[in-house]
Amino acid sequence: MSQRSFEEVVLPHLDAAFNYARWLVKNDSEAEDVVQDACVRALRFFSSQRGDNPRAWLLAIVRNTWYGRFTAKTGGVERMSVFDEAADEHPGHELDPQALVIQRQEVERVQQALEELPSDFREVLVLRELEGLSYKEIAAVVQVPIGTVMSRLARGRERLLAVLKSSDVSTGETRELS
Amino acid sequence: MNCHESERQLDAYVDGELTPSESLLLHEHFETCAACSRRLAEREALSRLVRLVPYHTAPARLRARVVATRKRTSWAGTGLLAWAAVLVLAASLGATIMVFTRARSEAKMTTAIAEEVVGGHVRALTAQHLFDVRSTDQHTVKPWFLGKLDFSPPVSDLASIGFPLVGGRIDHVAGKPVAALVYQRRQHPINVFVWPAAAKDAPIAPRSIRGFQVEHWVRDGMTFWAVSDLNQTELTEFVRALGG
Repeated sequence: MSQRSFEEVVLPHLDAAFNYARWLVKNDSEAEDVVQDACVRALRFFSSQRGDNPRAWLLAIVRNTWYGRFTAKTGGVERMSVFDEAADEHPGHELDPQALVIQRQEVERVQQALEELPSDFREVLVLRELEGLSYKEIAAVVQVPIGTVMSRLARGRERLLAVLKSSDVSTGETRELS
Repeated sequence: MNCHESERQLDAYVDGELTPSESLLLHEHFETCAACSRRLAEREALSRLVRLVPYHTAPARLRARVVATRKRTSWAGTGLLAWAAVLVLAASLGATIMVFTRARSEAKMTTAIAEEVVGGHVRALTAQHLFDVRSTDQHTVKPWFLGKLDFSPPVSDLASIGFPLVGGRIDHVAGKPVAALVYQRRQHPINVFVWPAAAKDAPIAPRSIRGFQVEHWVRDGMTFWAVSDLNQTELTEFVRALGG
């Protein structure tokens, strides 16, 4: 396998790899290490394993790398059980969509809420909303069935909405187009 | 279709993961059910917000580290053969470097423009400055550009297929003023950036940047960039209707 083909395949997805790793570990230097390790592994398996979707392939390696490090360090990954599922399914009150106007403090609150989500939910949201991956691609990266991807996205979003509703939503002016 | 089923499929609907017929059933339900249509609006608003959270691009340092690793690995365990290969490579490199550089810089430029139009789209949304002229009438929007730009952008009326025109403004791409036309699908704004192109006609090239769907094409001496948070299926439908 020539040097160019590895670089052509992997380097275009380095941003995606880093963004995903950064959202998983929530720390710049650790994210760099994860991606660096992942690239070493990607290189090792480059000729034998790469499928027809190099981005999903690289992201799956990033995830495995992170998972391996994380479990080695703490003996376990944060699981979904940290939040109350019953409360999760019944948000207290309706949120006016108009209140979700695009404003910096709103985005900051979403960012914080997203960072605080358990990684199982956080990662599917990042892959879907920031990377634009399809359910099938997410399923390949996270290595769960498509149905699980769908339910994690649904519950992750419910959770974000619940957090946004519980915090004080100060409605600013509405955006022109909503 | 009842509310329970609708709720179960809501995310797949928002994410464009349903078949057209499933999607239509759900769409019909939203038309008649205020509670579900409210949940839909809430989900869509949330998605828009999530897409605005920081996208962490790989630092140059990391890129350099990865490239260096690649080089180290490829030298390890190689001997004279590799050196011979290097000599051959160096010889052919001189010949190919020109072609390669040009193709590369073109691809790079396209990527830079794609980034810029996405930036323009996001800026228009965050600054709440989508239009300089707000009108659903193409015969109002098109003449508005007269005297402001040295070209006349094509403006279409696609309201009949669910993409109403909502307005237009002047934006800037690569330091030059361009026409930005704003269309809408449900709650999703679509920005179409238009300017004259020296290039020949090119078919639609879709890509995804920071979660936004971007489609680029060249038609009749005009270059077009459509940007939206809409899913790819619907954006492509829109672009085809626009003549891409």
